[in-house]
Amino acid sequence: MQDMQKMKEQIIEIIQGIVPGIACETATSMIDDGLIDSLDIVALVGELMETFDVELGVTDLIPENFNSVDAIAAMITAKMA
Amino acid sequence: MAFTSLPFLVLVAVAVIGYYWLPKWVQWGRVQWIWLLFVSYVFYGAGNGSATVWLLLVSGATWLAGICLGELERRHTVRYANAPVDERKAHRSILKRQKKRVCAGYLLAVFGLLYVMKYWNFTTHVLHADFLPRWDFLLPLGLSFFIFQSAGYVIDVYRDSVPPERNPLKVALFTSFFPQMIQGPISRFPSVAPSLYAVRRWNAQAAQSVQYGLQLALGGYLKKMVVADRAAVIVNTVFASPDRYGGAVLAGAVFFYCIQLYCDFSGGIDITRGVAQLFGIALSDNFCRPFFATSLTDYWRRWHITLGAWMRDYLFYPLSLSKPFARLGKWGRKHLPGKAGKILATSLATFIVYFVIGIWHGANFRYIAFGLWNGILITASLLLESTFLAVRRKLRISDDSVALRVFRIARTCLLVFIGRYLTRAPRLLVALSMLQRTVTDVQWHQLTDGTFLSLGLPLMDIGIVLLGMAVILGVEAFQERGGQVRDSLARQSAGIQWLAMVVPLTVLLLFGIMREGYIASEFIYKQF
Repeated sequence: MQDMQKMKEQIIEIIQGIVPGIACETATSMIDDGLIDSLDIVALVGELMETFDVELGVTDLIPENFNSVDAIAAMITAKMA
Repeated sequence: MAFTSLPFLVLVAVAVIGYYWLPKWVQWGRVQWIWLLFVSYVFYGAGNGSATVWLLLVSGATWLAGICLGELERRHTVRYANAPVDERKAHRSILKRQKKRVCAGYLLAVFGLLYVMKYWNFTTHVLHADFLPRWDFLLPLGLSFFIFQSAGYVIDVYRDSVPPERNPLKVALFTSFFPQMIQGPISRFPSVAPSLYAVRRWNAQAAQSVQYGLQLALGGYLKKMVVADRAAVIVNTVFASPDRYGGAVLAGAVFFYCIQLYCDFSGGIDITRGVAQLFGIALSDNFCRPFFATSLTDYWRRWHITLGAWMRDYLFYPLSLSKPFARLGKWGRKHLPGKAGKILATSLATFIVYFVIGIWHGANFRYIAFGLWNGILITASLLLESTFLAVRRKLRISDDSVALRVFRIARTCLLVFIGRYLTRAPRLLVALSMLQRTVTDVQWHQLTDGTFLSLGLPLMDIGIVLLGMAVILGVEAFQERGGQVRDSLARQSAGIQWLAMVVPLTVLLLFGIMREGYIASEFIYKQF
């Protein structure tokens, strides 16, 4: 549980590093609401791969995986399994 | 065998009759698709029999690569299904390396073949490497189209997004389905395979599919034979000796080239999709009303859609997501201010993609320049996005404003128009010289002193081209608002539906096929 919480904090830190000022902690539709765009996602994927040592590919680039911090954490967790 | 030839029409007629009626006599419904494979190879072999070898080789390599990738994945799943997570993860990375080697080997082989056949002589010429041999192959029909399509399938299997097809003949049909061999579209296996291998009987649904297919193909023939081949007369005359004309005539020729290229390519795709629909097969559309695009990025989403999607999924994203690009992106965000830092890595990937799109069109500097022209404009638009927004706010122009939309469409058309100088001129320097003269040496009088009318296309035919294009744009404006042409037609009375077939057919016969001295030209994209 603690690991998951720590992962989410790291994800929030990464997102805020790419899109300064974004309130992503509670957001549930970051893509659909236009809080992050396709350029941000490309940058975000690069950072996520480096931070969590996972491989993300083109097939992972779907809005559902990036609409919220929880969704991103779930995707990373699945990749780590 | 050209789409506009009688043998092709006979082949299609025989293929359709065989497809729907033979299963009644022979119990072979479950392998109905084999008939399509047979017809496809008849079509391909009739054009250039020896080129069939390359098609067979690519099909065989594609099947084998898919099978190898699938087998590696299957063995791993069976062997490590119940293994501890760490062990499974370690072996997954070994599996990934093995699959990467298979995929890379396959891609190297097929794109190596494409390179040797299409670009080898260009390379030796550019490098002034006279000591290297020239290889003058007769380029197999649709080589880059079927290689891109096959490569897409293998990459999808590598990514586990589609299961490998075990039947080599089914892979062969996917690679060689005859309507798409001349100029695409570049289909994806998951979207086209179910309808390629489906079992069909002649019934009301099949009859409607045939009706829709005929309508679509007829529209394609009209675009090609009535509009594009007429516009080609002016284009060919002017581009054969551009030095003889002033800027106004040159611009006029490029304008007609834009019409020719669109009607030729989209007309060919309409014929392709129409013929496929005769068998109930839905191929991807390659155009979505590109002249209604509001930006160059939007234009490329609407023009040659399947190539753009291929480049996005198999080149742009893998590049953008690669470690070097991720590092570059990070460096950019840290060291460059604002938007420039944010788009650095993506812009480089965009440039590479448009460079490849340019090269895909042919081994010539003008195509490279065409790719760079698009890459520069799209990167510039990303950089200036916030500036444009600020200007709009200052001028209090709403995003929904009709005037703004018209302005954006006109701006996009102008940028595309300029780019077309590069793709049609025989050489890059000629294209640049023509562009320069369009601005500095206009010679307006050549439009009215008979020069323009002496380009080989009488005034009435110029009118037919312009009227034809106006009708096309009118239909597309209806579609742009959500209208479905063939569905709307299907709701009309039988008489109107009959007229909708007879009138275009009459126009095609009178103003296309039976036109004095008319010989249908090859499709432009056939050479790519």
